[in-house]
Amino acid sequence: MSHLSEEQEKALKILSELKDSQLLSHLNSCVHCGLCAESCMYYLATNDERFVPAVKVALVSSIYQRYCSFTGRSFPQLVNARELDDATQNEMVDLLFGSCTLCGRCTMHCSIGVDITYVTKVGRSMLAAMGLVPATLQSTVNAALQTGNNMAIPTDDFISTISWLEDELRDEVNDPQASIPLNQAGANVLYTLNPREPKFFPLSISAMAKIFYAAKESWTLSTHMYDVTNYAYFSCNFEEAALIAQRLYAEVENLQARRCVLAECGHGSRAFRWEAPNYLQHPFSFDVLTSVELLAEYIRDGRIRLDKEKNREIVTLHDPCNLVREGGIIDEQRYVLSHAATTLIEMTPHGVDNFCCGGGGGQLAMSEYGDRRMKIAELKADQIRRTGASTVVTPCHNCVDQLMQINNKFKLDVNIKTLGEIVADALVLE
Amino acid sequence: MTSFHYLALSALLLCLIGLSYHFVRLIRLGAPKDFSRPRGKPASAIAYSFLGAMSPAKKESAYLHLPTYTAGLLYHAGTFAAIILFFPLFLHARLDGWLRGILVGILMLSGLSGVGILIKRIAVKKLRFLSNLDDYVSNVLVTFLHFLTLAALVAEVVAPLYFLCVSILLLYLPFGKLKHALYFFAARYQLGLFYGRRGIWPLRKT
Ligand code: SF4
Ligand code: SF4
Repeated sequence: MSHLSEEQEKALKILSELKDSQLLSHLNSCVHCGLCAESCMYYLATNDERFVPAVKVALVSSIYQRYCSFTGRSFPQLVNARELDDATQNEMVDLLFGSCTLCGRCTMHCSIGVDITYVTKVGRSMLAAMGLVPATLQSTVNAALQTGNNMAIPTDDFISTISWLEDELRDEVNDPQASIPLNQAGANVLYTLNPREPKFFPLSISAMAKIFYAAKESWTLSTHMYDVTNYAYFSCNFEEAALIAQRLYAEVENLQARRCVLAECGHGSRAFRWEAPNYLQHPFSFDVLTSVELLAEYIRDGRIRLDKEKNREIVTLHDPCNLVREGGIIDEQRYVLSHAATTLIEMTPHGVDNFCCGGGGGQLAMSEYGDRRMKIAELKADQIRRTGASTVVTPCHNCVDQLMQINNKFKLDVNIKTLGEIVADALVLE
Repeated sequence: MTSFHYLALSALLLCLIGLSYHFVRLIRLGAPKDFSRPRGKPASAIAYSFLGAMSPAKKESAYLHLPTYTAGLLYHAGTFAAIILFFPLFLHARLDGWLRGILVGILMLSGLSGVGILIKRIAVKKLRFLSNLDDYVSNVLVTFLHFLTLAALVAEVVAPLYFLCVSILLLYLPFGKLKHALYFFAARYQLGLFYGRRGIWPLRKT
């Protein structure tokens, strides 16, 4: 056995010091049938056997076998046990970071029930322990850790953007009292944002502000912590992920909001709704829900009125993996769209079987894998094309970004909108 | 009892000890603790994980690969038949008539499925890439078991070879991929727990 560095020892502890039976169950279940291949966009787009999802499991398993199992230690050739050396580490970075969007499609369709995505994340966490997270992704995490938002937007800039949007809102709804509240304690809703919104797509903030106005909601934004994203979820450095999650948790507590509403962001929703209580090791005392659920609730409770005739174009829906297959928000966006647009044509497949946009798993941040990302995106482009839609709606800003690039590259000539935007377009103000 | 009987019995005992080690380890480690507020019903999702979600209509690994899926089903049916048949064969109980005919038929089909799966593993590039020695050893051992069980049903003379094969397989089981016979249940339980908590399983129509 070659000499291991301190970082490598730390990475191996992730495999040897198990907290529960999850890793053991999934590593020992794969039968190498290869039937998951056709569920993965990377394999479908390239036909490259390295991109069979089970290869990722096999890679993590080969290290587990080498250091943690009797069979692997005694008969390494039998189970292809591998040393944690440079070659293995490079392969891990390329396969686990560079060719996986953590979309979870392979897991749902595995013949056995191996949680391939979970094993991939364990592999990523080993790389994080060795300081081998791709620099581009790590810099996004660092920006969030150092500045409070992943785009490093200075607070003054954020406040002036919001104040400008507030003026616009007042003009639009013709009400000088309309507002975008900041740091209001005791509001019913603390609303979060994807920093892409204040930076590039401020109109999606306007859309939600208009909806809150129509619903007469008691809500607020925080200038201190508004970022819904958590890129450390992608880098799988769970200490950093916990730090980011703790900030949002503390801000909800600090502002004594009853509900924390997560902006349209697939991974951000997942990271705070499902992962954060585990990062922080305690349940949350307040409600955490996505804006998709909130919009459905407003319509159901009659708090907003929509005229779907205002959106007469053919609309299709892209399901963000983390929100749908991994987050259980499956029907709500369809319910909202059925009230906000006249014609929805579903993609094939859709819902829990959807294909990722190609930008998930941190791929959008990892520019070094940009060509690969756009290659697999052709599948999504074909799906959109086949619907004949002129508008693609998706409740995720990361997906919006990737879909815009797909729109450009594959000349789809479609509009890309968030759910909030299409709802705001259909709003009937009393 | 011949020495082959003793060999098989000892192998069975060691196999059970090995599997118990894995089982106890799984139980002691337990399921992951989850602090998130559940959205669905984990219990019904766990049931769904073992029933509805296993339907060929629900998994691409089945409906996109029907010949392989069918071969896999036959292979596992033959394996179960072979496991059950170990006991009457061990006790020299004679199986005659239509029952023997059916069992021979199942084992012939399952053995041939095993051969087919092995050929596919060797012939298809992506499977060759994914496979390790353990995959081949496990396949060969189990396929041999099917054919030797079949042979032992019709000709007692192969009994020593049959018990030898059973013994090797039982001794190998806790160490190689064949232990997925146990871990499969743990993986599906965990998956049911995961999707159930988030309200994804049992699947509903969109
Ligand atoms: S389908 Fe499941 S069991 Fe088969 S190779 Fe893929 S991960 Fe392994
Ligand atoms: S999670 Fe998605 S991208 Fe990653 S291996 Fe599975 S199917 Fe492929």
